[in-house]
Amino acid sequence: MGNGLLKGAGRVGWSMLALVMMLSTMAPPLGATASANKAAVANLSSGLRAAYTTYVRTTSRALASRSLAIPAFARKYNLACSACHTVWPELNNFGQRFRDNGYQMGNDRDAPNWRDPSYWPIAVRTTPQFRVETTDHQPIDPAPSEAEITQAGFDISGIDFLMLGTLYKDITFGLVPTLDADGTAGVEAAFVRFDNLGNSPWANVKVGKFELDNLLSEKRFTWLSSNGGFLYAYHYQPAGSVDNYAFGLGDNQIGAEVSGHSLNSYTRYSVSVLATDDGEAGLPTGKSVDAMVSLSQAFAAGGGLGPQRIGVFGYLGHRPTTFQTINGEPIPGTYGDHKPFYRVGATAQLWLGKLELLPLVSHAQDDVALGGGTEKPEWNTALLEAHYVATPRLMVQGRYELLRMSQQADPATEKTFGNADAFAVGVRAYPFMFARTGMAIHGELAMTKTIGMAPLSGTGSGEPAYDPLTAIWSRSLLLAFDFAF
Amino acid sequence: MRSTLIAAAVLTGVVLVGSAMVRVAPPVPAGTISGTVTYTGTPPKMRPIDMAKEPTCVSQHPTPVMTETVVSGPNNTLGWVVVYISAGADGSTPATAPVRYDQHGCLYIPHVVVLQPGQPLQVTNSDKAAHNIHPLARVNAEWNKSQPPETAPIQASFDKPEFIPVKCNIHPWMHGYFVVLNTSHHAVTGPDGAFSLAGLPPGTYTVTAWHERFGTLTQDVTISGTETKSISFVFKALPY
Amino acid sequence: MRLHTRWIAPVSAWGAVLLFVGATPSPMPAQQAHADNVTGHAAAGRPLYERYCVGCHGKDGDGAGDNAQWIDPRPRDFTLAVFKCRSTATGSLPTDQDLYNAVSRGFVSTYMPPWFALTPQNRIDVIAYIKTFSAKWNGGQTATPITIPDEPAVSADGILHGRQLFQDLQCWKCHGPAGHGDGPAAATLTDSKDNPIRPYDFVVGSRFKCGSTNRDLYQIFMTGLDGTPMPSFADLMQPGDAWDLVHFLRTLQPLASPEATTWRAWLTAHPGELKPIGPEGTQ
Repeated sequence: MGNGLLKGAGRVGWSMLALVMMLSTMAPPLGATASANKAAVANLSSGLRAAYTTYVRTTSRALASRSLAIPAFARKYNLACSACHTVWPELNNFGQRFRDNGYQMGNDRDAPNWRDPSYWPIAVRTTPQFRVETTDHQPIDPAPSEAEITQAGFDISGIDFLMLGTLYKDITFGLVPTLDADGTAGVEAAFVRFDNLGNSPWANVKVGKFELDNLLSEKRFTWLSSNGGFLYAYHYQPAGSVDNYAFGLGDNQIGAEVSGHSLNSYTRYSVSVLATDDGEAGLPTGKSVDAMVSLSQAFAAGGGLGPQRIGVFGYLGHRPTTFQTINGEPIPGTYGDHKPFYRVGATAQLWLGKLELLPLVSHAQDDVALGGGTEKPEWNTALLEAHYVATPRLMVQGRYELLRMSQQADPATEKTFGNADAFAVGVRAYPFMFARTGMAIHGELAMTKTIGMAPLSGTGSGEPAYDPLTAIWSRSLLLAFDFAF
Repeated sequence: MRSTLIAAAVLTGVVLVGSAMVRVAPPVPAGTISGTVTYTGTPPKMRPIDMAKEPTCVSQHPTPVMTETVVSGPNNTLGWVVVYISAGADGSTPATAPVRYDQHGCLYIPHVVVLQPGQPLQVTNSDKAAHNIHPLARVNAEWNKSQPPETAPIQASFDKPEFIPVKCNIHPWMHGYFVVLNTSHHAVTGPDGAFSLAGLPPGTYTVTAWHERFGTLTQDVTISGTETKSISFVFKALPY
Repeated sequence: MRLHTRWIAPVSAWGAVLLFVGATPSPMPAQQAHADNVTGHAAAGRPLYERYCVGCHGKDGDGAGDNAQWIDPRPRDFTLAVFKCRSTATGSLPTDQDLYNAVSRGFVSTYMPPWFALTPQNRIDVIAYIKTFSAKWNGGQTATPITIPDEPAVSADGILHGRQLFQDLQCWKCHGPAGHGDGPAAATLTDSKDNPIRPYDFVVGSRFKCGSTNRDLYQIFMTGLDGTPMPSFADLMQPGDAWDLVHFLRTLQPLASPEATTWRAWLTAHPGELKPIGPEGTQ
């Protein structure tokens, strides 16, 4: 059976390459005349341009998507990965309920003392790969020269160390240190959760650094490439946004969460109070708080692989606009004069037999001071992701996301500046599926078209195009072995 | 004188015609297959059963009882072997007489019983301890019933042929067998290893001997009339 | 013959689509199952079984999956069609509702998770597929649940009678005089596949394997847990007796129940009156 699937994956690979060849010759750049765009670029102050360039550089590292699939749980409970995951790392409702219950199965055998002492709650994941990145209309010296920049070759991803489990009945912990591909260490998650307070699934408290309760989770989704591995809805910030305004709805945040769910996790809520540091430790920006609310409701309808679920979310954030300095350097903790921003949206998880549809719409608005202009920047996103889960070991997926600015921070900016369209297609084939380790053969082709701004993938020269109305295409092709043990 | 002769002739005629009309079934010859079951080699040693967990049964056995997996007699004869006709038209009829199975002194008496499908089985408990009857059937339904002392006999029957091990979970040394066979020609050997299958019409038969530890042996035997065919089964015994 | 390059992609794509639609599965009986207002079909249950169940219960439903060797107690062998948690008499098949409840509830202190997070349709489809593993379901015979009369009110007399039954029926042989699972026969108990098995320990107070209500408890000893040492006592008790036993058994658990309250009150009013349970309590 394994051999047959690998042969199938090979045929898919060739179809993928055919699609790649077809699409890469197909998309011409769009845009208005070069001269009008140059004028618009000149309107952006050099300071602000520097600011958002820095943002782009720092987020490109943050955007390296980390995903959570935990073979340690499979080893603990002797269940194959497919029990909790539609295709790992994406959760199905059984896995969602397990997670909501504090990684407890509920058979009075969850606490560590029920396990052989040789069981350790640790799993490791990494993804060696071959990838091709192409970005056009990239500015190079001397201005206004442009080039199409291509990078291709074998590469490695970072390594995730996933340690999640229970300390005691109804006390859960999570610890996810990470190593980036260049060896930089980080802490992606570190939390303690008190589950089922008062013996009720409606009251759970989590404290530490953790993923927000996004129904469409970026940490547990099935995309890995530079252009496909993130959602614009979760990371986009308009050009000109001020410096210490770091934020991503898909970034793990530090704070406290009160959450609850019905016994089968069909109804879920989460309310979080978070530090204003976008998950950076050390309280650099100090005093204010962010808040996040998410609600979802599922219905047992249809014979698909799970219930039909709809949800809404809202994030209200604050970021500082002033700070004290010493010798010109900002002093942590002196940040003040916080200004708000928000993100709201609705999303769903719908099943039609083996086809899973994941739509998401969102609306975002930043304060004037955060936008760096004279108006509050606003934008809307909409995405539709589709997964065809042919078997627990084979999934084909596609996504289209669009982002449209509805109000630019600087009224002189062209209305379409910053708009983005993102397409991605992919396939994941799993040669084996049991309770010890996992591997996926991953193929992905993702393309983003951004108007004027440097692509969020972080590829290319990292600067916006000289002509702000240039449509910049950035394409990623990723062929990878994604394994976890 | 003449009328008497005529009457006698008519009477004789009536008797002759009548007797020709009455059909008397000729007696069917029935043969017998008999013999002895023995073993060669070394059988496993039987061990004394420790019934300390059930004081009411310990008191019934002044000397400990041995396990009954291999019960043998002088000259290597083998007991508790079920010998039966497994093939051949042996004119079997369904049996309706109940078969009794007793729990006495924390042992199954007898160790092996043979039943036909649908034949009633009566299980009784003659002990002061409660037992549970647990036939470990695979083809028939597996059931499990409790039988405390001084309660009514359990009535049961089985639909399909099968060799069914029986155990009592409370007293793990208790082992027995319900052997459900399609034939009414069967015998269970005693320690003297002797068996006899009588009332067999002429024909060719396969005779099977089954022992719970040593397996199964078969032989073909032909009966042509009323003779007694003598056969023997020799099992290979291993000490483990 | 020129190969038109513009056809490569659609043809490959179609090839991929046809591949994904999957090989036709081998023909299987059109087994159905009904519970809780949903009807399941074996054909729909097969891919679900292969996703969720196969690792423990095995491809052939014989309880010999890849992970089974690490699991104690062993996963159920569906080929024998012998099930613990039934509403039908010992030796009978369970009803579809019994199987559906078992899958939804899971089995406490085992590796069988509670699967109620799956939709009812998914669960009943899996049940329909599980029934294809044994020919005993092909006869179409449906087993009849036992009749469970209404539960009477809790009373001290009832509990005392239940205690006497616990003594006379010799439940303490396995479950122990205090229901601690430490009776004289407990250490040597084996299930029908000769694997060691422990009797339920009332003193821990967890859910029963087959539910958690008084009705579930009634059903446990009136139908027996087939495949285990726990027999059926249906031939030995009248319904009134059985409810008394249920009420007494509840007093053995460290749970706040009306039975425990009634019993504690009686014990306080009648100190030292009880004969001990066990061999000393036998006449």
